Amino acid sequence: MSAIRFEGVTKRFDEAVAVDSLNLEIEPGEFFSLLGPSGCGKTTTLRMVAGFEQPSEGRIYLEDEPVETVPPYKRNVNTVFQSYALFEHLNVEDNVAFGLKRRKVDKEEIRSRVAEALELVELHGREKAHPRELSGGQKQRVALARALINRPAVLLLDEPLGALDLKLRKQMQVELKGIQREVGITFLYVTHDQEEALAMSDRIAVMEGGYVKQCSSPEDVYEHPTGPFVAGFIGVSNLLPGVAENGGVRLASGELCKADVPNDCSPGDEVQLSVRPEKIWTEEAEEGMVSIEGTIVERVYVGTSTQVILELANGVRLIALEQNFNRAKSDDRWGIGDRIRVSWHPEHSLVLR
Amino acid sequence: MSSVQSPPAASRPASGTRAEPSRRRPPQGFDRPRFLRIFTGIFFIVLFAPIGLVILFSFNSSRSLQDFEGFSLRWYEQFFESPSLRDSLIASVEIALVTMVVATVLGTLLAYGLVRARTRWSDAANVLMLVPLVTPEIVAGVSALLLFTQVGLELSITTIMLAHITFSISYVTVVVRARLAALGREVEDASMDLGATRWGTFRLVTLPALWPAVIASGLLVFALSFDDFVLSFFTTGESPQPLPVRIWTQIRFGVRPTINAIGTFMLVISTLSIGLALLLPRLLGRRESGLKMLLGREGA
Repeated sequence: MSAIRFEGVTKRFDEAVAVDSLNLEIEPGEFFSLLGPSGCGKTTTLRMVAGFEQPSEGRIYLEDEPVETVPPYKRNVNTVFQSYALFEHLNVEDNVAFGLKRRKVDKEEIRSRVAEALELVELHGREKAHPRELSGGQKQRVALARALINRPAVLLLDEPLGALDLKLRKQMQVELKGIQREVGITFLYVTHDQEEALAMSDRIAVMEGGYVKQCSSPEDVYEHPTGPFVAGFIGVSNLLPGVAENGGVRLASGELCKADVPNDCSPGDEVQLSVRPEKIWTEEAEEGMVSIEGTIVERVYVGTSTQVILELANGVRLIALEQNFNRAKSDDRWGIGDRIRVSWHPEHSLVLR
Repeated sequence: MSSVQSPPAASRPASGTRAEPSRRRPPQGFDRPRFLRIFTGIFFIVLFAPIGLVILFSFNSSRSLQDFEGFSLRWYEQFFESPSLRDSLIASVEIALVTMVVATVLGTLLAYGLVRARTRWSDAANVLMLVPLVTPEIVAGVSALLLFTQVGLELSITTIMLAHITFSISYVTVVVRARLAALGREVEDASMDLGATRWGTFRLVTLPALWPAVIASGLLVFALSFDDFVLSFFTTGESPQPLPVRIWTQIRFGVRPTINAIGTFMLVISTLSIGLALLLPRLLGRRESGLKMLLGREGA
């Protein structure tokens, strides 16, 4: 059984295609993220699961049942909205109890489940407060409790942390993940924040222009992006243009970099070589490493590390990350304009078409 | 019917500059030129002096409209003891009440349709809806009269109500629509997501959020309808005529001080309904005051 299954789902708004022939299967209990820039179709996908939009083509299955004829209020899913969408005229308790009351759950049970839900999101004691008296983080928790209390098959989260400040967002990420593990409900999580997706998800579908570009575990998406878009969108990537050769890539700057060329690439194909900044060494190269020379054009100190930006022979830029074990040690060694040699292990470079 | 917006808006510049308690005050006359205050003062005197005179002379013991000779309630007695005036008063209240209820219901539904329906026509409808607000009332009155005679409706209280309702709906819609747009769609989505049907969502979520705007606009419509003259004049039957039309008829045969008493009485009713419109939302436990709703500045 799958929690949600998309079969060839396409959604058009007039002429614009928001989601294009989407095929996905989400397992029960999974923390699944839809990740992509705004306008990539991730929120539309979510709204189709909730029932606020109907697919133009294809079918959506919830727990193996097709749902196109089921209105939103009968679907066994609940949504946490980006704007929280709390009912301003009701207090916290009545907001959270809203779903159970609609299902005519017995009063005693409602009371105990509301208490339980508020306990889960650490809001006990604020039952009588009105939404306008709560902070952003607290509103977020009410929205979460209001959705979770109904024990849906799938919880849909639409950029739920988008309106919070960075520190609170980090804290809520950890809490959300913990809550998901505790209640064991499938989470379908929409975000444009790649760090957030990496930190919380079991699997991530990276979307662009209505298509799923890659659907895999966070490690996979980060370490083995299948295309330049994913490599560029998740984390920072150095994308160096070049031409495939046997056993490597000839960069536009002239160097031959050893790399695993995928089978569907033949020599002479134009490709991009992708290397993560943290894989690049500024120390002495080891045996078997790829090595390349460039001029330092900028150094950005960001606390835990220093970004060293190099310009290669043909003007292509390359970012290397230097961990600040000691205090910004490269200060003593190089300045802007110096030529240095950087290197990386061939298995860390990825050939993308 | 008169303009809604200008009197409350005029008090804005005075309150706006007072927001910095902690800073040292800048030199007098730098950011708050004195002439602005004098100007505002003159504005209010010009605005309220004539009304004050009407109120004063409604308590005059003599017939004179120039000299105040002593306090008395005789003009009020005359007003309430005259059967025709009393009937007119009752008719006016009836018209205003029916107009308020019907226009509020229809206007709210119209606002809901305009904001929530996504069709290519909604833009056009949004603009067309404003036409009654800018139509000269005399045109509205004549066209209503023409319509009623064409259709063969006999002029009566009912035709006045129909005319008032038609031209009041826009006021309600403008106010409620602003509120609805500020409410946003996600709240209604959330309600349906949590198991409420469409109707349940409207009843449990949308309407409670709209109440302050609905009440405020309803009472505004009451006040506008209650003292409307032009529209009533064109659509009224023989008897009973609404109060403003009756007053006008009487004045043609000479001005009597009873007019002042009637005027004062109407002023009290209108002021009460506007006051309620401003206060009720707050009494219902909302942060937003009716003033903000009517000025379309809520939700900021």
